[in-house]
Amino acid sequence: MARSRGWLAIAAIVAAGLVLAFALQERYHHRVLTLVLLWAAMGLAWNIISGYAGQISFGHQVFFGIGAYVTVLLVVKASLTPWLGMAVAVGVAVLAAVLIGLPTFRLAGIYFGLATLAYPLIFRIVMDWLGYQEVAIPMKRDHPGWFMQFTEPRAFDLLALGVLAATLVLSRAIETSRLGYRLRAVKENEQAAEAMGVDAFRAKMAAYVLSAAPAAVVGAVYIHAILFIVTPDAVFGLLVISQTLVVSLVGGIGTLWGPLIGAAVMVPVSEVLDATVGDRLPGIQGVVYGAALMLIMLYAPEGLYWRIQQAIRARAGRGAAAARPVIVAPDDAAAPSAPIGDVLLEVRDVSKSFIGLQALSEVSFDVREHEILGVIGPNGAGKTTLFNVLNGFLVPDRGTVRLGGETVTALRPSALCRRGLGRTFQVVRTFPRLSVLENVMVGAFVHTRAVRHARATAATALAQVGLDDRGEAPPGGLTTLELRLMELARCLATTPRLVLLDEPLAGLSTDGVDVMIAMIRRVRARGITVVIIEQTMQALLRLADRLVVLDQGRRLAEGAPADVTRNPAVIEAYLGKRWLARMGTPAC
Amino acid sequence: MAQIAELLQYVATGLLVGGVYALMSIGLALIFGVMRVVNFAQGDFMMLGMYLTYFYALGGVDPILGALLTIPPFFVLGWVVHRGLLARVTGGGDPQRQMDAQLILTLGLSLVITNAATMILTPTPRGIRTAYATQAFAVGPILFNQARSYAFLMALVLAAAVYVFLTRTDAGRALRAAADDPEAASYQGIDVRAMHGLAFGTGIALVAAAGGLLATYYPIEPSVAVNFIVLMFVAVVLGGLGSIPGAFVGGLVIGLVQSLTLLVLPFQLQNTGVFIVFLLVLYLRPQGIFGRRARTV
Amino acid sequence: MLTVSGLGVTYDGLRALSDVSLEVGAGEFVTLVGPNGAGKTTLLKAISGSVAATEGRVVYKGRDIGRLRSNERAALGIAHVPEGRRVFPTLSVRENLELGSYRRDARAHRAEALKTVLALFPILRARENQLAGSLSGGEQQMLALGRGLMAQPELLLLDEPSQGLGPRIVEQIFETIDRIRRERRLTILLVEQRVVEALELCDRGYVLETGRVVLAGGRDALLADARVQRAYLGG
Repeated sequence: MARSRGWLAIAAIVAAGLVLAFALQERYHHRVLTLVLLWAAMGLAWNIISGYAGQISFGHQVFFGIGAYVTVLLVVKASLTPWLGMAVAVGVAVLAAVLIGLPTFRLAGIYFGLATLAYPLIFRIVMDWLGYQEVAIPMKRDHPGWFMQFTEPRAFDLLALGVLAATLVLSRAIETSRLGYRLRAVKENEQAAEAMGVDAFRAKMAAYVLSAAPAAVVGAVYIHAILFIVTPDAVFGLLVISQTLVVSLVGGIGTLWGPLIGAAVMVPVSEVLDATVGDRLPGIQGVVYGAALMLIMLYAPEGLYWRIQQAIRARAGRGAAAARPVIVAPDDAAAPSAPIGDVLLEVRDVSKSFIGLQALSEVSFDVREHEILGVIGPNGAGKTTLFNVLNGFLVPDRGTVRLGGETVTALRPSALCRRGLGRTFQVVRTFPRLSVLENVMVGAFVHTRAVRHARATAATALAQVGLDDRGEAPPGGLTTLELRLMELARCLATTPRLVLLDEPLAGLSTDGVDVMIAMIRRVRARGITVVIIEQTMQALLRLADRLVVLDQGRRLAEGAPADVTRNPAVIEAYLGKRWLARMGTPAC
Repeated sequence: MAQIAELLQYVATGLLVGGVYALMSIGLALIFGVMRVVNFAQGDFMMLGMYLTYFYALGGVDPILGALLTIPPFFVLGWVVHRGLLARVTGGGDPQRQMDAQLILTLGLSLVITNAATMILTPTPRGIRTAYATQAFAVGPILFNQARSYAFLMALVLAAAVYVFLTRTDAGRALRAAADDPEAASYQGIDVRAMHGLAFGTGIALVAAAGGLLATYYPIEPSVAVNFIVLMFVAVVLGGLGSIPGAFVGGLVIGLVQSLTLLVLPFQLQNTGVFIVFLLVLYLRPQGIFGRRARTV
Repeated sequence: MLTVSGLGVTYDGLRALSDVSLEVGAGEFVTLVGPNGAGKTTLLKAISGSVAATEGRVVYKGRDIGRLRSNERAALGIAHVPEGRRVFPTLSVRENLELGSYRRDARAHRAEALKTVLALFPILRARENQLAGSLSGGEQQMLALGRGLMAQPELLLLDEPSQGLGPRIVEQIFETIDRIRRERRLTILLVEQRVVEALELCDRGYVLETGRVVLAGGRDALLADARVQRAYLGG
């Protein structure tokens, strides 16, 4: 999405809104226009947390309702103009977002969705309890404009358009900022995002707070433009969230255009239906919305925008796929290796148990700077558990991990990444809907805020692994080798001191293995320390300076590869005592 | 003394009501346990069950029996809804997306059902008049409303029937196996998709029957769905998502909480206690009473 | 009884199996060994149907079963005892076993089969009404084996029965497998990491490494072949 095209599109939408506001004549048409604009804005607000960040909220009407109630109550009690009251409402909404978000984002999966359901219900009850079952906006004939009580319907159109424009600008700003990339990463694969230095909790909180503000503004304007009387059910009720969901889901989740399309399609349809048959068939709106949600989930779960885009792409992309250049193993015979230095990573007495299983028992070893250390062991030895502890995904029961002299034992993965510990995964964890370049940019954002710099760093990283021509491609189209190289580039973009590579050679052909090995050597040549888990023994013997052998959670042996693989204890661990007895200790 | 009697009265009422809540919640728990679907439309099917019982009553059938008679048609309805709708929404393989997508699907279904019911059946509340709705059994100073008592007993009977089904029949065990481990279940020859249909059909049938029982003392109107879906959710989460005995206990507890809340708060705030319990459970022990450890971020 | 030809499986973007062919004759005991990550479990899953093959064929008793779902293949008499045991934790030992005979052909013989299995695994009889989730690893493995046997299978697929278990229990398990083999006329395909124990039980064996068959042969030949070691430890 070209940067300038987005802003141009926003300008075009605003212009279109202006044209409509002045061209339409009937009062009723203006009402529909106002509704379209307001619901589009609400959908965009919801989209920030549920679309960009991927945390589907079923309770966003909390902020809508706060906007409505705070503004109106301030008019009633303090005769405060809603223009200022809105600002107060936004403040309250932001505070509510923080208070709600802090405990709720700790819940995973379905529990999060269920929790968000509870809050608007609680607010409904609270409002009932406080006696605010029905708060009418008092008429202010003296200064109607000051109190947002316009008689000219165009005024409300323009007000709604202003809210929409502001929300569009906010959305676009997020999209093109570091936060936007980070949110998408968290949405696509939270664990990978953490490993690339994104503090997922902070990112979600930021998105939640930013999504609450416009929702409150929409609520405030909605009350003044459409409802005039605030009741708990009207602003905290199911219809608000249903309308928000419909507008965003039908239009397209995770994009600026989605709520616009959704509102432009669904709001007029439902208003027309309501006007024509609404008397005979009360509730026709609900049926239409419900049916729309169901149809969308069945046939186009991402929304119309993405479905249309898919259809267009499918038709256009039938052209011949560009012949992929074979990635030749780079010639690094001349690459000098930095000498192996002091201890960079210290692992001391790390133990970790799960229910009924002692995964790691007092594992200790050192990793020296600039070396390539291989971690091997039979199935169930605890290798990946060890990486998960080193990386911050698991907290050990006992033991310490020190990186560069600093104790880092219980830090979260994003904090470790920022301190220079990178990681790749056994099964490549991409951000599927980001391009290859954007995937790598997520890593680059660890050390810069500016999108420009991140892009440049990412491009360099891709060039270093030989993928510079695949930047714009989606990860889905890459071969296994290219995916692993991309993951490596993404990890390198975080400028690590030490990388943990979890089975980087799995699934590769012999040629691929050669390329990957050469890459890993290059990584070390650039001064980065490498720790690898691998099953493919042959390759690891070529690559590693030293090996650490784990078996049943314990460190079994440590040393040069040739020695370790001939160590009887190691052979026994892999093949069993009886094999050893049969074969005898092989002669060196 | 009088205060204790009053307290016991609230407890008694709460338990009686809780029995019906328990039945509703079992349906929801069964669906979630086997299919990992949060069925937002559960309250709506309950509402439809209320109406069907009402129509049976118009034809002279006692509502307690009527509630039982809702089971076969709603089982079929549930099976069809699963095959036609839920089985088609897969969320692209990602379990989290699938849960979100199915929640939205059932939310849409809920909207359609509630609003269509409003249109077709009109919002006028209806009620079933029985001789026993206004009479009560007296046990010492405590009164047990007869309608609620019969409803409670029938709810227990049905819950027991579910228990027997799940523990003593092949199909019931297969359901539990599919809930525990669908892959291993299919290795035993269990058709997991058919199990999902079975679970959904049963879950819907149970909640429709619960609606019928509720209709003996609660007004029947399209908007009741919303009131009860929240109670069901809380009961199921309290008991432990996916645990049937948990949902049963959860329903009883919710009935108690709701009733005891009336000791301190007026009627329209009776669900306050329920929400407080909900939030407490989510933050202190998301896995509920009987559930296994829930993931936290 | 079972012929796998040219099987290829791509999984999560990784190529797990390439051009794998093997055969298991009726009544034979075939062992498949190889280091971790070789694709052994994937191969069994492709045979029992929980993973779809991208290339190649799986022919069972003369019939191409590639299009059948896993529960349909189970109904044909293939019993898969999965890696990690996968017993149903909230069901009792007895219920787990009863479920083993879910398939129609086995239901009629359920009572008889239950008696035999409980006799084979006395520890299960002692724990008959306990929840399967509360059993130890070794006990769960026996339960999983027993459950597989309840299906009166013709082809038994065993996936790493020794995984995560201590040496004494492993010995017991292998003894039991040997006993089962001798007492019934079962066809068995065993996948294992513990090379010697697994090879000693079999008639023929295959060695799998990074998704390919690298070695095949009779029991004694494989047991004496140093190349087996190379497959695990390189060098």
